[in-house]
Amino acid sequence: MKPFAFAELLARVRSLLRRGQAGLEPAVLKAADLELDLLRRRAMRGGRKIELTAKEFALLELFLRRKGEVLPRSLIASQVWDMNFDSDTNVIDVAVRRLRVKIDEGFASKLIHTVRGMGYVLETLPENAGP
Amino acid sequence: MNTLSLTARISLLFAVAASLVLLTTGYFLTRAVEAHFVEEDRHELNGKLELIQNLFKHASSQKELDLLPQQLDDALVGHHGLAVAVTDAVGDIWFASSGADFPHTLLQDCQAQPAGCATGTLQQWKQSGISYRGMAVSMTTGDGRPFAVAVALDIQHHVLFMNKFQTVLALAIALAALATAGLGWIATRWGLFPLRQVTHMVAGISAERLADRLSVTGLPTELKPLATTFNAMLARLDESFRRLSAFSSDIAHELRTPISNLMTQTQVALSSARNKDEYKEVLYSSLEEYERMAQMVGDMLYLAQTDNRLLKPGLEKVDLAHEVQDLFDYFEAWAEENAVKLALAGSASVPGDRLMLRRALSNLISNAIRHTTQGQAVQVSLSRHGNQAIVSVENPGTEIPAEHLPRLFDRFYRVDPSRQRKGDGAGLGLAIVKSIVEAHGGSIAVTSTNEMTRFQLTLPALAE
Repeated sequence: MKPFAFAELLARVRSLLRRGQAGLEPAVLKAADLELDLLRRRAMRGGRKIELTAKEFALLELFLRRKGEVLPRSLIASQVWDMNFDSDTNVIDVAVRRLRVKIDEGFASKLIHTVRGMGYVLETLPENAGP
Repeated sequence: MNTLSLTARISLLFAVAASLVLLTTGYFLTRAVEAHFVEEDRHELNGKLELIQNLFKHASSQKELDLLPQQLDDALVGHHGLAVAVTDAVGDIWFASSGADFPHTLLQDCQAQPAGCATGTLQQWKQSGISYRGMAVSMTTGDGRPFAVAVALDIQHHVLFMNKFQTVLALAIALAALATAGLGWIATRWGLFPLRQVTHMVAGISAERLADRLSVTGLPTELKPLATTFNAMLARLDESFRRLSAFSSDIAHELRTPISNLMTQTQVALSSARNKDEYKEVLYSSLEEYERMAQMVGDMLYLAQTDNRLLKPGLEKVDLAHEVQDLFDYFEAWAEENAVKLALAGSASVPGDRLMLRRALSNLISNAIRHTTQGQAVQVSLSRHGNQAIVSVENPGTEIPAEHLPRLFDRFYRVDPSRQRKGDGAGLGLAIVKSIVEAHGGSIAVTSTNEMTRFQLTLPALAE
């Protein structure tokens, strides 16, 4: 039995409910001008293609699927890398920082935000005012 | 059942052994004295018979024969306790001296079978409370008349002597047995004195004085191994005891620092009015501290579970190369950030718990990345030697001083005691690795030179 966080269970149930409403899974995930094509394994922002590694793609997919939810580091580690234990390293911070450089750098509105003491969240803010 | 003391046992054994030896000796002694008396009596009886025979031989006429009783009486004068009886051919008593009544069989048998009486058979009988020993022989007079002559000795004095002798002997044996038991008791007490000394020394060792050792010098050879073994046990106990108390004081210390940080921070925040953002800042800061504490407590709990075998490793096939590759994927970005390369060589599979092994490898690899010199590579090598799988995690970096190596896997142990906790965990990582490896029946070792630090895991490999 894998250990899991209650928050994760909740998120999964929510996501399943959403899927149930939508009927079938979308092939393209979107947030503002960011698009992630799951079938073609391609990411675009503002019409510009972004090169991602496999793990970066998986990370971004997780963020987009849980748009607006704060994702704790342990959840990210377990979902993207299948690492179900706390690490005393800042591996997740480094990975998120790299992804952020690729999708947010050069754009006025930032998508990935740090929620201090809790984790990361991907959301489209009405104005360019991060917390 | 009560167990007898060693002293009582040995004393008792001494007494029993001495009694047995003395009783046997006494028995043979009695037999020898008795045999000697019989021989003496036979000799005397033979002498008398010879004398009588001589008289019979010289009686070659009826006239001389009529004189024979008188001659016999004369011959017997002064021989107190000697009795003689003579029967004629018909079996009637021809002569009898005062004294013994001979058993009839003695004389009759001799008449019936004169040949059997040629040498005389010694017999013993009792008559009105007095013991006799005697024998009968057949004789012929000078003119060929057959007679049977029996002589007997009163042996009452022998019997009395033997009785007295046996009484004295029995008394002596009883006394000797008692004396041996007493001496045995003294000897045992004296012989076991060093044992009591050791007991006394052992009794003086308490939990507060585990560093004390028994002195081996001056102990008898038989007790030296006992003292040495006991000392070895004490050393192990002392070590575990020291670790245990170090561990609890470490826990206290590790928790005291973050808690006092939290308290100070909160006190400062409360000391004057603050705006919303400032309070928020304090809460964030506290949250980080709580997180560290939660992780430490979680690690300690995990360690306690693996150490006490509460977490039993499952026995699925774990492909170590695959696990290491997954971990490399996980650490890749962080390693690149630190300008450290990751390399894997070889492969090996072991039976075990994938999650636990992954956690152990993760701790080793993150530890290696953290201590690798920039621009160098962490090398993970997997191999199989016989029925063992070897995992080695090497990283170039500063040497770990030799005195730290044996304690590197202790909980909370840090090579540099002043090193801050930030980014370095609570010092439980390697303890967890060791615990997981041991739960899988393996072992862990570390070597360090000035350019390379190498952790090696030895695990039972999967049977092919």
